[in-house]
Amino acid sequence: MMPNAPRVEHENWSPEMVAEFKRRQRGRNIALLAALAAFCVLIYAVAVVKLHEYGQMW
Amino acid sequence: MSDTLLINSSELGATASDWLALLKPRVMSLVVFTGAIGLVVAPVHMNPILAVTAILCIAVGAGAAGAINMWYDRDIDAVMKRTAMRPVAAGRIEPASALGFGVVLAICSVLLMAVVANAVAAGVLAASIGFYVFIYTMWLKRRTPQNIVIGGAAGAFPAVIGWAAATGDIGALPLLLFAIVFFWTPPHFWSLALYASDDYKRAGVPMLPVVKGARHTRVCVFVYTLVLLPVALLPYWLGLTGRIYGASALVLGAAFIYYAWGVLRDRQDEAGVSLSNDAPARAAFKYSLLYLFVLFGACAIDRLV
Repeated sequence: MMPNAPRVEHENWSPEMVAEFKRRQRGRNIALLAALAAFCVLIYAVAVVKLHEYGQMW
Repeated sequence: MSDTLLINSSELGATASDWLALLKPRVMSLVVFTGAIGLVVAPVHMNPILAVTAILCIAVGAGAAGAINMWYDRDIDAVMKRTAMRPVAAGRIEPASALGFGVVLAICSVLLMAVVANAVAAGVLAASIGFYVFIYTMWLKRRTPQNIVIGGAAGAFPAVIGWAAATGDIGALPLLLFAIVFFWTPPHFWSLALYASDDYKRAGVPMLPVVKGARHTRVCVFVYTLVLLPVALLPYWLGLTGRIYGASALVLGAAFIYYAWGVLRDRQDEAGVSLSNDAPARAAFKYSLLYLFVLFGACAIDRLV
């Protein structure tokens, strides 16, 4: 059984602050996903070019 | 309570743009440009995908050095107006996280450069990162008013890296491009330091205007700008570039000397403090950026036409 996702909680935080925290967290996650996806595409493209250069592809 | 994450109320966490800001994107744009010029003027054709990746490695390597710089300089960044809002200095990113981010990116950029281009380019990239972090940031910056004279070499590497990525060696032209950025850096930074000297003084950074005074700094700006003119003309005199570059170097250099002359002749009190709010220094700083972009652009155009 999967554990529950951690809750963000602080005694002094207003609902607006919690929402802002979640917004920033989501933004970081999306940016990281985009960076990782771009890195994968880059490595794939470099691999294709390198293999093509050495005559091991097509 | 095990599923509850307690967070310091002073921090809502960094945004994605804070992490991007760690890489000093404005400095990165100059690095990307000079690196791309080094690659374009090289006599060897490079596959466009590999060329773009090599430039990306240069950009990420420079950004990594910037992140490590922000980690190390967080104490002085926090007291300088110009840098107080940087993510580490402002407390939005933990110092250790910034250091880890910078180190990982530096290693990745060098390794990828070795795979995409060659060991020479990767070696020079590693040297440039090491020079910026260890020689400039950790050693020179807080110790000597000549910090940016020697430290300027760090910003001069990208053109050499770009050339090395394409050719696998280091020729005369990239070394001259290195020399141009090296001699361009002092008048560029000292113009900025003239109108930001209070900031540097507050942070205890021994920039030239803080240690030697504004009057001495103005003379140095002018002298370095005079030296820059023949250095920038060397590639043309040695037959490594054509007339477009030669004419550009002459006109741009003459205009730079005009701006530096304005800095030297700025209205000032007996202590050398500007009475014009350092308007000539601000103009010279802005022009210095234009100078480098147009001069290197002319070098590339000369090679392409």
